[in-house]
Order: sequence, then structure tokens, then C-alpha cells
Amino acid sequence: MTSYGDERPQWTPASRYRHALRLLTRRDLRVRYSTSVLGYFWSILDPLLMSAIYWFVFTQVFHRNADLEPYIVVLLTALLPWMWFTGAISDCTRAFLREAKLIRSTKIPRSIWVNRLVLSKGIEFLASLPVLALFAIFSGATVGPGLLLFPLAIVLQCVLTVGIGLIVAPLVVFFRDLERAVKLILRLAFYASPIVYGISDLSANYRSILSFNPLTGIFSLYRAGFFPEELDWFAVGMSALISVALLGIGVFVFSRLVRNVLKEI
Amino acid sequence: MVDVQPAPVIDIAVSDAGIRFRRNRRGRRSFKDLFAGRDRRSRPDEFWALRGVTFTVRQGESIGVVGRNGQGKSTLLKLVAGVMIADEGAVDVTGGVAPLIEITGGFVDDLSVRDNVYLTAGLHGMTKRMIDERFDEMIAFAEIGDFLDTPYKHLSSGMKVRIAFSVISSLDEPIVLVDEVLAVGDKVFREKCYRRIEEMKAAGRTLFFVSHNERDLRRFCDRGLYLDKGALVLDGPIDDVVDRYNDEHGIKK
Repeated sequence: MTSYGDERPQWTPASRYRHALRLLTRRDLRVRYSTSVLGYFWSILDPLLMSAIYWFVFTQVFHRNADLEPYIVVLLTALLPWMWFTGAISDCTRAFLREAKLIRSTKIPRSIWVNRLVLSKGIEFLASLPVLALFAIFSGATVGPGLLLFPLAIVLQCVLTVGIGLIVAPLVVFFRDLERAVKLILRLAFYASPIVYGISDLSANYRSILSFNPLTGIFSLYRAGFFPEELDWFAVGMSALISVALLGIGVFVFSRLVRNVLKEI
Repeated sequence: MVDVQPAPVIDIAVSDAGIRFRRNRRGRRSFKDLFAGRDRRSRPDEFWALRGVTFTVRQGESIGVVGRNGQGKSTLLKLVAGVMIADEGAVDVTGGVAPLIEITGGFVDDLSVRDNVYLTAGLHGMTKRMIDERFDEMIAFAEIGDFLDTPYKHLSSGMKVRIAFSVISSLDEPIVLVDEVLAVGDKVFREKCYRRIEEMKAAGRTLFFVSHNERDLRRFCDRGLYLDKGALVLDGPIDDVVDRYNDEHGIKK
């Protein structure tokens, strides 16, 4: 047997973490794309189909009287990040159970099981952005400087999604019912977030209530580049506040529960 | 000049470690229970799988863990491997661990053998360059050269274990944990595994070995830990430990 001698890598916890995160994310993408012919198209087919349905329902069947045009861009600017959010959270309900064998046999920093889901869904989200660009171009949407807020929206969404994921993932191990509850809540959240409508469509009352949904502020940032009237700094502020708070709670809950999770799986 | 003996390097330090499990997996749990953390009270529906276990392992020692089923051997191994966390006390492991525990755990059915080798070795802390260097050796050891690009799920169960053993035992970690993996595989491969473990021992790795096989224990280990009802009842030379185990549980000679 040979020995590596001096070339043993000097891992710092952070570099080891990144290394494992990269490997697992690549594994997920590889598994997904090596076992399907359409690969990448599946990840954009879902939001596209949903957009087509909502577009048809709200512009052809019911004639929406709102100022935001083109409606397909309204939909896509929120639907694509919504797919990231909902995909990551519903995957988090199985974060530990699906990887039980690996978790039982390999020492990997435990928060990776949440973060890698947010990351791989996030990569799919980024990969779906060309679709948004295409529709924006062909539907004649106007683009403004608000587009520069896009990265801020991504950062906020990362914080929010990781925070909720850290709470949901360990709790599901003990309360399996939570898996179903999360699905229901996500469905409710879909309509309680400005996705098929914009906050500028709403009355002042509803608008201020909706600001307490952290997704409102995030979607308002995504839309700011195309629809300046959608940018609502109060909602963004609330969103940042709630997201950071949820991340704090998530870190606390996760660190308290993780030792019991390891026993249970 | 005084000849100063270098202090022995401690690889594993376990002090007063304990871990408890629920007796009844379907028992009711409340949120309050969940967040109770690491308090020392024991609740009625829980039992201590290990408690008050204290020992240190110096670099290069080979330890055999002895005990009947359900006395905490595998749990102790998992604490040392870092895949479980003690509820009380501390388990300090210096340096990396190559855990031969559920060795096929990290392998993904849908990926090829090649991808799986890079994935598993990588998750255990090898860089891509190290794996490149070691890759042919791992495949040769597992004797599955023709199946490199076959999806892992299509391998026979023997091949699965062989490649997994080959990868984990190729990790260049100072501590090696062995949990009865040698019970699998055919006789020829088993002997190959034994030889590799002996090589690792000879190379100065620290060996932590769980087995029911008396011959293996005497062959690989210098020192024994005897676990009974979650407590460490004897820590001494392997022959003493195995003899005592035989006295208490073994077949009368």
C-alpha cells in the first residue's frame, strides 16, 4: 500500500464542508440527468406549464383588469423562484430519511443535508432564468435598473429557504405528519404570495397584510426590473427581518435536534 | 542529556460518555422532550445504551471491542466514527477516521462504479487528485475491472461489498474502524481484507475492531474493551478480555 505522505490535504472545516457540498450537489444533478432523457427540460417544464395554464385562465377566460403587462412575465418572475422555494422545502421534509444510509455511515457536517437541497434547487432556478429572458424579450417587456436587485432577491431567498429547511428537516423525523402538513401549507402559501397577481393589484389593506409573508418582499425584488411599481421596500424590509429571524430559529432548532435525529434514522 | 520519551499521541479520548435511546420507537414525544437537550435525567421510556464509558486510545494501538449483542459495541463505534453524538460526556477523536461501518451506505444505485468511487472517497475527505492516483489500485483490489462503467445497482452483492471495502480501506486516515464487515464476501476476498487490515496495523494505524470472532480478535488486537449492559467492565490485554468473556458467556470448555 502506498501512502500519500505530505500530500494529505489540509482540510479546514469550511473547505471540507464545501467539498462535500459540491460532491453531493453534483451527485444529485448527475443522478437526475443521467436517468432521464429530457433532463434539464423537466425542471423548466413544470413552471412553464403552470405559467401557460394561469396565463390562459386569467387572460383568456377571465379578463384580468390589471396594469401589469405582459402577464406571462409577471407569472414567470415569481413562479420560477417559487419552484425553487417549494422544491427545496418539500425535499427538506425527506432530507434525513432519504439519505439515512449515508448519514449512518459517513461523518458529514449535518447541516449539509439541508443546504445541499437549497443549493441544487437554486442551481436549477438559475438554469431556468434563460426561459424568463426569452419570454421577456418576445413579449416585449421593458427592463429597468430594478433588475440589479435580482441578486439581492436571491440572497434573501437563500436565507429564508435555509432557515425554514433547518426547522422542517429535523422535525419531520419525529413527526412524520409534518410532511403532509408542509405540503398543505406550501399550497396555501402559493396563493398567499404574489405569484399569479402582483402586489400593485391589491388594495392597501391586503397589501400590508401580505407584507408579512416573507415571500412578498422577495418576489417584489425579482419583479422590480420589469415592473417598477411592484417594488415595495416595506415588504422587502419585512422579508429580510423575518428571513433572518427564521434562519436564527432554524440554526437553534437544528442544533438542538440533530443528536436525536442521528439516533432515530 | 536526559532521554525524554515523547508523550504518546492520543488518538481517541472517550470520557464518561453516555448515549440513550428510546425503548419504544413509536412512543409519544412532545416538543418539550425534543428540546430537553443533554440533561442527565433518564426518562422512563428511555435506556442508556452506553453510560460512563471512559478510555483513551494511543496512536497505533489496536483495540478489540467485545460483548454480547446489544451491549453497546456498535454504538460505541458510531460515537467514535462521529455519526452519532453522545448525550453526556465527550468523545474526542484526533485525526480522520476510515469507518468500515455500513460500507456500502454512500453508494448510489444509479451512478456508475467510477462515479461512486469518486463520490464516496470524496465524501470521506480525499481530493480528486488523490483518488486519481489511487483509483487503479482500488479497482484492482476489488477485482471488478470490467464493471467500471456499470451502474452500481447491476453489480452482484459480493462485488458491491468488495468495491466498498476497497474504497474505504484506501482512505489514508490514521484511525480505522471495523464493524464485522469481514463476515461478508467469499473466503478468498475475506482473507484479502484481513491482509489489508494487517497491513494497516503494521503501518501504524490505530485500529478499532468490533467482532464476535475470537480468532479475529486475537489476531488483530492487542487490547480489549469488554462492554456489558452499556458499561465498560474490563479494559486490558485482548487475551484477558476474551478469556473473561468466554468465562461469562462462552461455551464451557
